[in-house]
Amino acid sequence: MHDFGSDFELITPELWLSNEDTWREKLLRLPDWCKIPLLNCNASHNLPDSSLVRFRGMVQDMHNPEFYFEQFEIYNSATNEIKNKSGKYRDTANIMENEKINYTENLKSAQRQTIVVVSIPGLNDWAQQLEDEKNHLGHLEQQPNTSKRLSSSSTKLKRSYDETDEDLDAMDVVEAETVHNKEPRIAETINNTSNIVSREHLLNFPLPDVQSKSCIVKIYDENDDLKLNDMIEVVGFLSVDPALSGEFQTEKDTLLDPEIENEVESVTHNPPPSLVPRLHAVYVKKLQHCNPLIPEKVDQDGVLKGAIVAREHLLKALTELLLGDKLAAEYLICHLIACIYLRQDTLTLGQFCLNISNLPTQRYPNYARQLYDVIKQFVTKSYYLPLTIENLNTLSLLPKKDYDCNRLTSGVLQLSKDTHLVLDETKMEQGTLDATGVNNISAIGHMIKNQKVEYDFKYYKMEFESDISVLILSEGKSLLPSDYHCPLRPEESSLKIFEAIVEAATYYLKEGIMNTIRTYLTHIKLVKYTISEDLQFVEDDFIEMRSKSDSQNPITADDLHRLLVLARLVSLSRGYDTLNKECWNITKTMEEERLYRLKNRISTNL
Amino acid sequence: MAMRDYSADKESFKNFFVDFCLSDDEGNKSFKYAEQLTRLAHREQVAFTVDLDDLSNANEELAEAVKQNTRRYTNMVSDVVYEMLPNYKHREVTAKDALDVYIEHRIMLEARNHRIPGEMRDPRNRYPPELIRRFEVYFKDMSNTKTVPIREVKAEHIGKLVTVRGIVTRCTDVKPLLVVATYSCSACGAETYQPVRSLQFTPPPACSADECRLNKAAGQLHLQTRGSRFQKFQELKIQEHSDQVPVGHIPRQLSVYCRGETTRRAQPGDHVAITGVFLPLLGDGFRQVVQGLLSDTYLEAHSVTCLNQSDEGEIADELTEEELSELTDDDLYSRMARSLAPEIYGHEDVKKALLLLLVGGVDKRPNGMKIRGNINICLMGDPGVAKSQLLNYIDRLAPRSQYTTGRGSSGVGLTAAVLKDPFTGEMMLEGGALVLADQGVCCIDEFDKMAEADRTAIHEVMEQQTISIAKAGIMTCLNARVSILAAANPAYGRYNPKRTIEQNIQLPAALLSRFDLLWLIQDKPNREKDLELAKHIAYVHQHSRQPESGERALPMRLIRRYVALAKRTQPAVPRQSASRLVDAYVELRREARNARDVTFTSARNLLAILRLSTALARLRLSEVVEKEDITEAIRLVEMSKQSLQHVEENTQRGISYTDRIFAIVRDLAGSSSTVKMADVIERCVDKGFKPDQVEACIEQYENLNVWQVNQVRTKITFM
Repeated sequence: MHDFGSDFELITPELWLSNEDTWREKLLRLPDWCKIPLLNCNASHNLPDSSLVRFRGMVQDMHNPEFYFEQFEIYNSATNEIKNKSGKYRDTANIMENEKINYTENLKSAQRQTIVVVSIPGLNDWAQQLEDEKNHLGHLEQQPNTSKRLSSSSTKLKRSYDETDEDLDAMDVVEAETVHNKEPRIAETINNTSNIVSREHLLNFPLPDVQSKSCIVKIYDENDDLKLNDMIEVVGFLSVDPALSGEFQTEKDTLLDPEIENEVESVTHNPPPSLVPRLHAVYVKKLQHCNPLIPEKVDQDGVLKGAIVAREHLLKALTELLLGDKLAAEYLICHLIACIYLRQDTLTLGQFCLNISNLPTQRYPNYARQLYDVIKQFVTKSYYLPLTIENLNTLSLLPKKDYDCNRLTSGVLQLSKDTHLVLDETKMEQGTLDATGVNNISAIGHMIKNQKVEYDFKYYKMEFESDISVLILSEGKSLLPSDYHCPLRPEESSLKIFEAIVEAATYYLKEGIMNTIRTYLTHIKLVKYTISEDLQFVEDDFIEMRSKSDSQNPITADDLHRLLVLARLVSLSRGYDTLNKECWNITKTMEEERLYRLKNRISTNL
Repeated sequence: MAMRDYSADKESFKNFFVDFCLSDDEGNKSFKYAEQLTRLAHREQVAFTVDLDDLSNANEELAEAVKQNTRRYTNMVSDVVYEMLPNYKHREVTAKDALDVYIEHRIMLEARNHRIPGEMRDPRNRYPPELIRRFEVYFKDMSNTKTVPIREVKAEHIGKLVTVRGIVTRCTDVKPLLVVATYSCSACGAETYQPVRSLQFTPPPACSADECRLNKAAGQLHLQTRGSRFQKFQELKIQEHSDQVPVGHIPRQLSVYCRGETTRRAQPGDHVAITGVFLPLLGDGFRQVVQGLLSDTYLEAHSVTCLNQSDEGEIADELTEEELSELTDDDLYSRMARSLAPEIYGHEDVKKALLLLLVGGVDKRPNGMKIRGNINICLMGDPGVAKSQLLNYIDRLAPRSQYTTGRGSSGVGLTAAVLKDPFTGEMMLEGGALVLADQGVCCIDEFDKMAEADRTAIHEVMEQQTISIAKAGIMTCLNARVSILAAANPAYGRYNPKRTIEQNIQLPAALLSRFDLLWLIQDKPNREKDLELAKHIAYVHQHSRQPESGERALPMRLIRRYVALAKRTQPAVPRQSASRLVDAYVELRREARNARDVTFTSARNLLAILRLSTALARLRLSEVVEKEDITEAIRLVEMSKQSLQHVEENTQRGISYTDRIFAIVRDLAGSSSTVKMADVIERCVDKGFKPDQVEACIEQYENLNVWQVNQVRTKITFM
């Protein structure tokens, strides 16, 4: 059997171009892509220029299309030879000292799309670790390719940038020393160049204080219908030629140059490739999820059969953590497996914003955080945002177009689908919200209600669809809207021993059980759910509810929507891919109990 | 493709410029291009604009060729015009600027130096044509060309004339761009000219004049700014409109280079339509070395037009034939009404009214009197009956609209405010929502909670359609030709049918009567309707889409365009229909006198019917108001009245509280025959009953001998 994997280690853009279809087919037939280095787990400085690599991330921004030379001629003044070359899958012409590009004749231009891909925001540590284990290629580090790269490409331009080149190497090394040396590195950047641009600015990651990588991906296939915030996996040729950095632009003659791109823009669009590598995509795959535990092919029946076991584990753990409140645990499970399944005009179905209130913050001020720490062990992507006055007033939640740099500056709400956003309202104190704070609150509210985020393009706003599950943890009813509000009813006995419970839960949730739950949560979202034609019992119930409704508790169409969404999740969580009477009844009891709690809570307050 | 015969084209251009003429109604011929040429020759005009419409009339093939290879033809036309100009020069032109004088001197000098008898040499030849030409050639795209979305401007458009629309996001200062550099030699004094075609240039190393070359003097060249020719240059960045961007994509941008006369036409934030040639720009210097494989692209502007917001709708694509036929084939009125906010179930009459609001009636101005055509609607109803959703939908659908709440957010509020400019210290007016929504829809939620000042101002807006301001020495009248769509919650939370509307909404009758239609939206349980609603929702969940009730909802864009089309007709009421209107009004008045009327029937109702019927006629794209339109308008008014009166019958039919409390007690008892009094009271209070109601109920049923209450009144025993 021929080993395909090794083929891809040695492939070059020229080879690929010579037989594009075959290679593509070969790539698709490759059983697993682990052999192709994943940039998320392997540092780019360990990989040679123009080798085939992978990158996984979220589409963060889209730039204007580029026109590149698909075919061009090179004239060698030493040998008088004329060669044909292609600019596809590369950034630099890779020409020798005596060679010159013929800019006037036999040029063929083509268009390619440039997108900025950042590593998936909110990806939890466990998922990242699993990825690393699976994809880390140890052998790359043993033979650092830096020297090889430098010797192989002895172009004319390289020499003229000798000094800067050295600097770059120094930077590479610094970067290899991981996170801790971030500060000195920034300082170095400032010293070295006149354009002061921080690393954070260049990486442009939605979430603050999180390590991330980003890549500029060039897409050649026009048909790839990529949308903003899509999760994608790109296979492509790496391009890390240091000359691509916008920091090394020569001084322009300001009198005669009309400033096609201003300086900030060109620096932002051409970050040093050591920091933001370029990738010339040969294949782009849209990802439905990014859970490394999920196999390629999902076997729906198997998933449904296994559901009940996993659910039991999860329910047990969550009930304990929610201080013995089983109802809240049930709702939390539904929340964890909820995702949007229908979007039509203004109607969005499947959103499940849960507000758990009445947290015992008096006794455990950090209860919300502790709860989140467990939740993030279950879900693939999540982010914890304490809603403090300071955070609301300072964070930029909404992405905004920056016309000076000509790019979309990211905000916290720019998240890929199925990301769990946990808002901790127990951290809020009295204070004044300024204009930003009010905007941020209304942005979150808008997102919860419509699952749409308004990106600010200065001259107009554009709505982008989002699918972010929001969990609000609060003392009283949250000031943000929510679909389901469930006050917690802690049991006195559990309340006393909460610390012990957390410990016990960590002990109970061993790797094996943990993985079952993780797989379960992602799998259930992928299951196709149907509702049978006969919904007599639903209709009858609704009519009955309506006839009982009065001015104080009106039952409207929204309530039925809510019931049906909940029923779907109740059924799915129990491993049914269709709605049956039993689940419907469970759903009704759940809602009744929840509403009863709500009402009683109000009456006690009065 | 065969090469075009360019010399032939040149000839045809020449003939076209000479011969082309337009004749107006009186038969006077005006030679459009000849006149332009004359003005150019006398330096009264700089831009020479060739309208491709005209060219296409004269020579269709040539016009097409121009569109395909615009740059070449621009140069060609420049040459042609240059050759023709002397023939159109009828008088001496006074020199306008230094360059004119300079050119004149050079030409004279040249003529003197080379005056060899017998040699007929054009003295202008030695100089680069760019230096001496003082005109600019622009092409105007054909009026029937579609604008290309910025997203679709691709490699195949290179070199072609395209028209794009967008919003200006950035523009640089206007700077001089060197077109011809003139150098003088320090050794021999000869002048060297260097035409510059790109954005950068390299000065020639040494003097190339004969004298220097022969003497091997290698004189230094100095750039003569006075003798060089500069051109105004500005770079714009335009970005796609939000409606051109596919869902989930980032708007794209395009660089536009404006030269000469096309500069200073737009500012950031302006909506523009730009016609230009799409060209690649070869990077040079560093960029060329590094990113040698890339070429930037730009649009060389030929015309830049600012569009204001209201024009935009008209430029938006016309409805195509098939769309029109699809729309007109069946009951368009109900279908469009149903397509409004399709996710809100039912309320068909309300939606019909809203559709008419969008279309609007016809404005009338008999002898200076102004009768508004805009329709005002007020939606009332208990909380949670989708009022705000309807408002939101209309806000999104209307091409021009403002959405505010009565509580108003800023100091500007609904009307207008006088603000002091922080820089100049001058007073200036800033329009509020009503002014900003001029010629559109203003959606006001929580109308009842409006500030007192705004409420008084809105009287004027709703009838006179203006806002008069007399503040801080500024006295003015602003136009506010808006349709007001208001939503109001009843006072004290619920609509109380026993009171009048004024009491319920807490708005003065004078304001309420200005609404053409008042709707009370109520959500009452009703078995059939509930079943329908349940089926509808269940269907959505089953099939992940809206049920097809025989038709699908029309897309928003289509409705918007159709409404824009409908607004253009100005229907009138024919005489025979007018009498019917009068009859209907008299009938309404009579009924109002007889019955107890919760609304006010006044002359304003007659106008409302008139407006509604003209809007209906517009919707049919008809110029005449038919009888049916009037009937439907009267029906809507009638229905809106009914929605207010309907309330009373229904509540009377409701079950009394004693019955409901009895049911609760019975449920509580279940199989056992005794119930604790405390439990009963607790449960009933939970359900929202007052304790004295419970007492009354218990006493009533005790008297009926349904149950017995023990002495200390703690236990109820069923008989």
